[in-house]
Amino acid sequence: MSNSEWEKVKEALRKPATPEAMREAAEAFAQYEKVSLGKGNSRPTLVNLGRGTGYPHAVPVDKIPDELATNPQFFDLMKKIVAREKS
Amino acid sequence: MPTAILMSDFDLPTRSASGFLLRYIAPRVEPFQLFSFLARRLPFQLSAPQSDIIIGVGHGSKTSFTGQNEAVILEVGKYNPREVKGKVIKLLSCQTGVALGPDLIKNGAKAFLGYEDDYVWVMDSDFASKPWADELAGTCLLPVIDGLNALLDGKTAKEAFDVELQGYTRNAAVEEDDLIKSCLEFNHDNAVLLGDTSARVRSRPSITIPLPPPPIILPVSRPILS
Repeated sequence: MSNSEWEKVKEALRKPATPEAMREAAEAFAQYEKVSLGKGNSRPTLVNLGRGTGYPHAVPVDKIPDELATNPQFFDLMKKIVAREKS
Repeated sequence: MPTAILMSDFDLPTRSASGFLLRYIAPRVEPFQLFSFLARRLPFQLSAPQSDIIIGVGHGSKTSFTGQNEAVILEVGKYNPREVKGKVIKLLSCQTGVALGPDLIKNGAKAFLGYEDDYVWVMDSDFASKPWADELAGTCLLPVIDGLNALLDGKTAKEAFDVELQGYTRNAAVEEDDLIKSCLEFNHDNAVLLGDTSARVRSRPSITIPLPPPPIILPVSRPILS
């Protein structure tokens, strides 16, 4: 069952990729991460097999807030994955 | 008839995905196994025409599929149709289902299995030296392996495709982490099957006993978090 922190992440990612929305999504993800991740697995990392996408191939989960706050392309990727919205 | 299997291995995502193929698929198929620095255009050109199936792990885009260090293997309009004619092709790569997949079918490939958007998963980077043991990554990658094994068991492309989709659905239903669950649902929704859905390849012998892990994994050749 989705926790309330995850719902906040989804809500923030539904907004257009403005600096404010990106910062909001980053803060929401940081809160979610504290609650849900890091339970035993030492270095969880979000990876993809994209080419020329404008975001890294690998982002450690604890660095996702930093990437969300600064990289609009990564924000749009997370929007598609989490909020299920095409940018 | 040999199998053309490309397993690039130069950063975290390629190492993770190729590790699963190396552990679960490579032992049951014949050469040519193009691993690491062999996952390049020339070895592919030599091996592909002799194969009935092409399996590839590498970074991709709408129009291209790449191997080691993103060396282009297949690109729309820039390959010989002889390399793909009559083959069943599975590319574990991002977005190749948009333009490259249809182009492969247009040029004579029997069936294409790939993804219309990014292929994403969560892995544990502490398992970079034994990626096949990474349970986090296995949540997303084992459905791919199950689909490939179905294909190599002689099932049709559609049956193999359904095996993969069912794997995502099954794993998502029991997954507690919302991020991993989102990745599973995203990959499920972006998986595509093009061409002849009843296409088959010659069945390969099944593996009935647990095999030891592969003996070596070469060190990554670039900073892994790039």
